[in-house]
Amino acid sequence: MTSALAVALAESPLHASVAAELEDLAARLRRITVRIHTSGGRYDGVGAGVLWPATSGRLVVTNEHVLPPRRGDAAFVESVDRSVIEARVVARDRDHDLALVSLPDLPDAWLAPATIGDARAIRVGEIVVALGHPFGVGGALSLGVVHAAPNGDDALLAADIRLAPGNSGGPLATLDGAVVGINCMIARGLGIAISSQVVARFVSEAMTEP
Amino acid sequence: MSASSSPGTRAPSGTNLRALSDDLAGAVERAGRSVVAIHARPRIPASGIYWRDGVVVAASHTIRKEQDIAVTLADGTRAQAQLVGRDGGTDIAVLRFDSAPTAKALTLADRAADDALRVGSLVLAVGRPGDGGVTASLGVISTVGERWRTWSGGEIDRFVRLDLAVYDGFSGGALVDAEGSVLGVNCSALARGTPLTIPNATVERVVDALLTRGHVARAYLGVAMQPVRLTRSLAERLKLSETAGGVLVVMVESDSPADRGGLLVGDVIISADGHDMAEPQDVAELLGAERVGGKLELRVVRGGELKNLSLTVGERGQAGDARRRGARS
Repeated sequence: MTSALAVALAESPLHASVAAELEDLAARLRRITVRIHTSGGRYDGVGAGVLWPATSGRLVVTNEHVLPPRRGDAAFVESVDRSVIEARVVARDRDHDLALVSLPDLPDAWLAPATIGDARAIRVGEIVVALGHPFGVGGALSLGVVHAAPNGDDALLAADIRLAPGNSGGPLATLDGAVVGINCMIARGLGIAISSQVVARFVSEAMTEP
Repeated sequence: MSASSSPGTRAPSGTNLRALSDDLAGAVERAGRSVVAIHARPRIPASGIYWRDGVVVAASHTIRKEQDIAVTLADGTRAQAQLVGRDGGTDIAVLRFDSAPTAKALTLADRAADDALRVGSLVLAVGRPGDGGVTASLGVISTVGERWRTWSGGEIDRFVRLDLAVYDGFSGGALVDAEGSVLGVNCSALARGTPLTIPNATVERVVDALLTRGHVARAYLGVAMQPVRLTRSLAERLKLSETAGGVLVVMVESDSPADRGGLLVGDVIISADGHDMAEPQDVAELLGAERVGGKLELRVVRGGELKNLSLTVGERGQAGDARRRGARS
């Protein structure tokens, strides 16, 4: 579907403006999305992470399955400019598949924390994008629509969007660039993300713990 | 933390993608007011569309019970409905509410004109696979073809194939355009899982038939056939073209219209109503519902000689449908 949409857009007189919108959006999301290597190896355990805004500390949120406990707490985080720094897992939430990584040595040049959106305000059919490293391809953008709205305490957001291994831990965002979820799995072809309010709760709880 | 822009507000000019996004979300909201969830099978419920006053259209293959079917309305409340009739050929079923829902709970589907089906147009599949609300997937119409006949004999006005992902609740749901108007009823069971849409015109025809008669009339002869080529010497002797072919009758059902008309196993039908017959499908195409009760003039080769037969076209019984599938007509 994505390629067919690309063709439809390419033939449209609106193409230039739409393409510019998407380019701008991809560039903004690349600045808040890191690449995570768990073992130092190039493709062994590659995932994505989001530079999460926090009053104290320099943090990246990713999936627990990107940094499972059996691999230890060390992680290697790579920014859009391909520089790598060592980081440490400071909290994990297995139930919600979330992990929090602290980067004390985060260079100021990296600092572009994400804008967080409200997943509860999202509308079914609304266009959303995902940024990640599907099959190791860095900084890839995919486009889709919200499939089902999270209702009540529902922690998961379902999107009709094409994701692949390597998207895990990366952002699902609105066209405004606001992160509404952290992509965590593919279920029956649907992209599933942990909604932003669940992530925010996890981060604030992790930061208040002694 | 800052919140994203509030939903429902119009994007400023110059952000065309955002305007499209708003349109798509608005289309889902609008169409969703007419899409219901039907609890008539184990596990995952299927979708349906509020088509006429008190009447819901669904995909027949998703309906496994006939009475006291629970239906989740657009406002999340539940109502009860009964199966009025179904047509396996087009995979359409019609349900009637015990009492018509209020306009607040469910609104009639707003249907687009038939010429709105265009290859390449952006469309949404809107479904309701349960009580959790409406769902959507985005894609394009990939094919708009001619009238076609399904493997189980149903006639569908246009062949409409979709390029989009099929999720739970797809069948019986609505295909909608960017304005939220319904283009047809979605179905994944008519072509090996390929997502298709049954256009509004076909749905209307089937709904009419099911509401008035409880079933869809389908012409029926009671024969099984396969294509054959005649030998050159036989074709020459009978003054047929050299490439003449026909369809060989390999089975005649007892007491069927074909049996009563004198058709025998081994006959080769070379023409029907003056049209050359080369495939069993050619015979099937002459058997529209309007032919029931009418005459079909056949020209057959029997024992090396030409013979003319006149058959009275019958109506296919409902109970025998499952046994009479395939190349039989």
